[in-house]
Amino acid sequence: MVHDDYKEMIPARALSALDAAEAHALNEHLENCAECRKELDEWQATAAALALGTNRSDPSPKVRERILDEVRKDLSESNVVPFRSTPRNLWSSFGSLGAMAAAVLFTALIVGIVVLWRQNNAMRTQMEQSREFVQLVTSPGARVAELKSSAVGAGAIATVAYDSSGHAMLVASKLPSLPQGKAYQLWFIVGNKPPMPGKTFAPDNNGQGVLKEEMPREALNSPVFAVTVEPSAGVPAPTGPIYLSSSAVN
Amino acid sequence: MATYILRLQPEPAQESDVLLLKAIAARDEAALALLYDHYGRILFGLLMRILNNREEAEDVLQEVFLQVWRKAGDFDESRGRPFTWLVTLARSRAIDRLRTLASRERVAEAGAREVSEVISDAATDALKSEQRGLVSDALAKLPDEQKRPIMLAYFDGLTQSEIATRLGAPLGTVKTRMRTGMIRLRELLAGQGESFGF
Repeated sequence: MVHDDYKEMIPARALSALDAAEAHALNEHLENCAECRKELDEWQATAAALALGTNRSDPSPKVRERILDEVRKDLSESNVVPFRSTPRNLWSSFGSLGAMAAAVLFTALIVGIVVLWRQNNAMRTQMEQSREFVQLVTSPGARVAELKSSAVGAGAIATVAYDSSGHAMLVASKLPSLPQGKAYQLWFIVGNKPPMPGKTFAPDNNGQGVLKEEMPREALNSPVFAVTVEPSAGVPAPTGPIYLSSSAVN
Repeated sequence: MATYILRLQPEPAQESDVLLLKAIAARDEAALALLYDHYGRILFGLLMRILNNREEAEDVLQEVFLQVWRKAGDFDESRGRPFTWLVTLARSRAIDRLRTLASRERVAEAGAREVSEVISDAATDALKSEQRGLVSDALAKLPDEQKRPIMLAYFDGLTQSEIATRLGAPLGTVKTRMRTGMIRLRELLAGQGESFGF
């Protein structure tokens, strides 16, 4: 079979309708073909949309309880660190060769720990931001606005969540990188009044940006959110192009 | 509509769902509960449609969310939306369960009867759910000869060979009709791109 033969099979694969031999052959092809993997992702989105055509139904409340019980059990088990006694003089039985191996392993371990520590710090920050965002959107009276990209925004997307006291958090991704001295700035717009300035933020190397903000009280009434590119220090009135904007939040 | 209240509107997948999955990967129990509240009903509806058995569907729903708890870190937002990932997980588990059930023929027959019922219910109920209406409208525009292979695969877990036997049609014909139907379905849903994220 050639590439086009496999490509033709992908819609059926998204429906899990291929017979075993064809499914096996296609899976092998997918391992080496990024184009077909992308195509499968797209067909799976089409297949998933079919789920929206079914009647929604309420499972028993016990299902939710059972799931969360299992999760709590898992969390409590993972907090228990089993105690194991270490055999004494472990390396002495291997002589000097063992000691050298231990030294090499120790060095590798230190290097590994440093790498992991750096990765872990970045991940911990991201996770902490995720938690904060979840807490915000689940708080009473929380509202969420989706910001969509303008033509210059090049497909950037963002979400702003805020509560009734004005605690707000913006999470953006796919942001274009900016030249030195420039930053993204958040704006709050209510009715025909001039935009109220928010803080500035810079995207990371992956085009993601997070901003925590306290909204002005007068911005809580059906605000529109917008993001422009401005000098890093921020400006009192927008001067740059709009990269992202929302509809009014009702 | 670009704005919404998260708790009240489970569809479609949003940037905030990506954040929920990241929080779940960081073992945040509250995030899993929120994701369940967000998607539990729609996934359960899908599982009921496939398994046609409340007990089995609830059991699989539990398995799906525990799998999400364990595997949320595997979700790759560059490959698709959280909704697609969740539906793919749920459907895959349901089809596996269906294929191991001894009563498969009975379930499939009951399901096949239900196909037209679900569509007509959804069509008349379009005002209650815009997206459900859009999907049923798209399906209603497919010729029956293309729609039936898709429905038998998606909801009854039949392979193309099994569908050919069921419909008494040559295997090649079933393959062509399924593919043509999927291409047409994608075009129809893409016309509603804002709703489905295509």
